[in-house]
Amino acid sequence: MTAKKEDKKGKGGKVVKALRTDKKERILKELKTIVGEKNATAEEHILYAYSYDMSFVTPKLPDYVVMAHTVEEIQKLMKFSNKEKIPVVPYTSGTNIGGLCIPERGGIILDLKKMNKIVKLDPEALYAVIEPGVSHGQLANALYKYNLRFGWPVGPPSSSVSSCAISHGIGHMNARYGLNSQEITSMEVVLPTGELVRVGSCAINSDAWHSCLPMPQMDGLFKGWLGSTGIVTKLGIAIHHIPPLLKIFTVSCDHVDDMYSYMLNLSNYEICDDLTAVSWWLSQVPIPYPYKPKPEDAPEWFSYATTFSFTEKEKEARTEIWEKVVNEEKNKGTSIQVTHYPEEALKARTQLPSQIVGSTKNYCKMGGAGISWPGTFTPANRWAPIYKEWKKIMIGRNLSPSIRMSMYRGVHYGMLRAMTPFNKKNPKETENARQAIVECLKVDLDNGGMPYKPPVDFAAEINKRAHPGYLMLMKRLKKFLDPNDIMNPGKLGI
Amino acid sequence: MKWNIPSLEELEDILWRCTACGTCKEAYDYGPPPFSAPICPAGEEFGFEGFLSSKGKIAYARGILSGELQWNDALVDAIYRCNICGGCQSQCQLDHKPFIPEIIEAMRRKAVTDGVGPMPKQKVIAQSLSSYDNPYQGPRRVRLDWTRPFKKEGKPIKNILEEPAPILYYVGCTGGYNIPVRTVPQATASIFHKLGLDFGILGEQEVCCGSTAMRLGDAEAFQRIAESNLEMFRKLHEEKGVKTIVTSCAGCYRAFMKDYPMADEYGRMMEGIRVTHITQFLHDLFQMGQLKFSESLPWKVTYHDPCHAGRHLTKYIIDKEGTQLWAGAYVNLDEKDCLYDIPRELLKAIPGIDLREMRRIRSNSYCCGGGGGVMTGYNDWAQRNAGLRIQEGMETGADHMVSICPFCHYNLNQGAQGIGSKMKLFDLTELIDKAIA
Ligand SMILES: Cc1cc2nc3c(=O)[nH]c(=O)nc-3n(C[C@H](O)[C@H](O)[C@H](O)COP(=O)(O)OP(=O)(O)OC[C@H]3O[C@@H](n4cnc5c(N)ncnc54)[C@H](O)[C@@H]3O)c2cc1C
Ligand code: SF4
Ligand code: SF4
Repeated sequence: MTAKKEDKKGKGGKVVKALRTDKKERILKELKTIVGEKNATAEEHILYAYSYDMSFVTPKLPDYVVMAHTVEEIQKLMKFSNKEKIPVVPYTSGTNIGGLCIPERGGIILDLKKMNKIVKLDPEALYAVIEPGVSHGQLANALYKYNLRFGWPVGPPSSSVSSCAISHGIGHMNARYGLNSQEITSMEVVLPTGELVRVGSCAINSDAWHSCLPMPQMDGLFKGWLGSTGIVTKLGIAIHHIPPLLKIFTVSCDHVDDMYSYMLNLSNYEICDDLTAVSWWLSQVPIPYPYKPKPEDAPEWFSYATTFSFTEKEKEARTEIWEKVVNEEKNKGTSIQVTHYPEEALKARTQLPSQIVGSTKNYCKMGGAGISWPGTFTPANRWAPIYKEWKKIMIGRNLSPSIRMSMYRGVHYGMLRAMTPFNKKNPKETENARQAIVECLKVDLDNGGMPYKPPVDFAAEINKRAHPGYLMLMKRLKKFLDPNDIMNPGKLGI
Repeated sequence: MKWNIPSLEELEDILWRCTACGTCKEAYDYGPPPFSAPICPAGEEFGFEGFLSSKGKIAYARGILSGELQWNDALVDAIYRCNICGGCQSQCQLDHKPFIPEIIEAMRRKAVTDGVGPMPKQKVIAQSLSSYDNPYQGPRRVRLDWTRPFKKEGKPIKNILEEPAPILYYVGCTGGYNIPVRTVPQATASIFHKLGLDFGILGEQEVCCGSTAMRLGDAEAFQRIAESNLEMFRKLHEEKGVKTIVTSCAGCYRAFMKDYPMADEYGRMMEGIRVTHITQFLHDLFQMGQLKFSESLPWKVTYHDPCHAGRHLTKYIIDKEGTQLWAGAYVNLDEKDCLYDIPRELLKAIPGIDLREMRRIRSNSYCCGGGGGVMTGYNDWAQRNAGLRIQEGMETGADHMVSICPFCHYNLNQGAQGIGSKMKLFDLTELIDKAIA
């Protein structure tokens, strides 16, 4: 685009880009022809509401917002955008905590929230087919009628199931079934060039959405790409029965090494839906902001292990295993204690989807408007050393080391993450948090960690360390799928 | 009188508590079973994020305050496309939760003081308020038209300025001027007569409560009206023995309960006077055994919680001094003033009534779409939205919908017509009047 951009600084570190171009009117007219008069706009205040999120990522304005209602509209839109080389950023709720929907290079925000049909729900074959706008709350409501569930994240109930899953999101059953992206069974996607494609069983039989295997796993072309390779228009996901008996095992301890030892031991038995530990600061509702020292007599770590059983005997068997693990850990001389987990924090993380944690109450209520995080998928045996480094970095910057560690399905790696609230109104405090987070991220990366849903700052750090062959392949795939680099450009840092 | 009505600038810190998490975008409750449903009429109609829930409104407020958004016709229009229904507020959990309607109204106040608001159609309301003391451009004498059947029957209603009475029935402008809604004051007065209560009305001297002005951001007009009402209420208490003010309008009730207390002299002016909604008033009598249902109404009905008589009356507990959490922290809420259970208890007590609940009720009630100046400013949308609510009511299998707000009454009946539904909205007083001898 031959756009002239004027930058001006506003409060909260905002940068407003006023785009002036001869093309603008013509493009808007065309967009309105595609999606209807009411569903495309270039009104400044509407653009503004899409220019920022809760993260430290610098706000940027799109040039247009378009609301699509059908796959055909999306196809037409992509063909047009590709021809005109206009960036397109898919958007459902913008809650990814990484600025992933902030349009680095302006262009179109493609808001998909109105495509919110649950297209199919097969309680026998145990899968559902959903459109991108289906929210976690909506799906939970629909599945519960059949006593079924999906992996609910601790995110807002109003956020999109499909956006979370295609971004390798983590749900409350990650210790049992893995990431939500591992629950994807089929996909329908509009390519950046406008063609409609399907991957998984639905590609062969349009009514079969049960599996991505045994074909080549082309769903990988659209997972973890931050909306930069195509617009997912339908997603098949595995759904699961809700066993009637919930038991949550809670322990606490004084040292991160003891917690790691306990989690490692317990995860070997694969009895948990979710096996998570949080530092004292994260167990508070909300996270203290700025940093406040933990009371001397409070344990530094708490863990909850949620287990679901179909029968009392099964529950007893799980309990027996858990007790055995606790005894073993105690006998090792660790500080593990069976404990009472702070009630509201436990509720927020086990009664999902949740408005308590989804509204960032746990995280931000004291900080104010901002939240970001370093970390994620990290080898479990590096959790303890990384935590110790992070703690120094965070406290050094007057931020609470509010860390979560979660073990993934049957493996000894998982989520290590520091939820970091900040006062977003104040640019200095925002920058302080950003610097702390990037410093922590480097420690994580150097220990084999890999952030998911990475903001651009993270992508740059990842790519600095990447194998040249990885970057080359990524570039080629991106070029192949999106020859004009119109989809969420700038996000991958390549 | 001094008023403590915050400006948008004064709310700047509080609106920076919003994390843009979007939890406000849909009504949700963990349950089990989990409950999820759209909650924002503006979001349903207009879709884009800025229109949707408090997340969107706060984005506008931030932009206006930072100077990144300048007033233009489209922005002014956008801030008036909101029912100020508080559905979004019910979902949010952060420190600005208690102030969400305030933030939206403060934006409108800024628009008005900056000379750009409200919308042209709504400006008529302000003019009407100053010329006629009501937002309907109705001459004062028309205010009494609803009383004609009582005169005819030889049961005239007291003019409280002429004859003292312990109860002032504050009719409200909608009941007085909006012809299809006159059934509400008529049912109310009929119930009072049947119960033998000594009450009076202000008749032509009644002045609007000011709610519409406040909702549209015209704080000056609101203050002028509210002050004259407070003075009138004091006078009626001192000179005519008024101890209770009963209103059958949810909008007036909200104004008296939430807006008037922002005056520094509210306590002094209202000393010895109780303000109550007709539903609460009748419920008290019902509990004391003074209201007895003798007739059966074999109706299948559903109940619509009006925003102004429901969640708007929530009290938010805020840690002002920072003794519990930190200064300004939202601690908890108290719903005891919200008229959720009381109308339902009365409905269920009427013999023959089969009450069927809609999905979205109580604090998650779906606004009829009429509030916040929308019925005046965007009547088509108000009607379409009311149609959605009627549709939801019909899904319960009910024949009729009941509510306790003349505004909802008018708009929902409009909505039913719009979608060609036979469902009718009745005020609870209309049912009670039919069920008592
Ligand atoms: C308090 C809080 C807690 C959270 N907890 C978790 C958690 O436990 N686990 C977790 O995984 N996440 C969590 N999140 C992050 C987030 O809520 C989830 O990832 C969420 O589901 C994202 O949905 P969204 O609608 O906000 O997506 P968006 O932010 O709108 O989009 C996310 C990404 O997907 C892309 N995208 C959107 N739609 C499409 C499409 N149709 N096709 C292709 N690309 C698309 C976007 O461009 C963007 O890159 C949390 C967020 C908050 C605020
Ligand atoms: S108003 Fe509350 S619920 Fe809505 S986005 Fe802001 S913080 Fe979240
Ligand atoms: S007050 Fe009502 S109409 Fe306005 S944004 Fe909130 S939910 Fe929507």
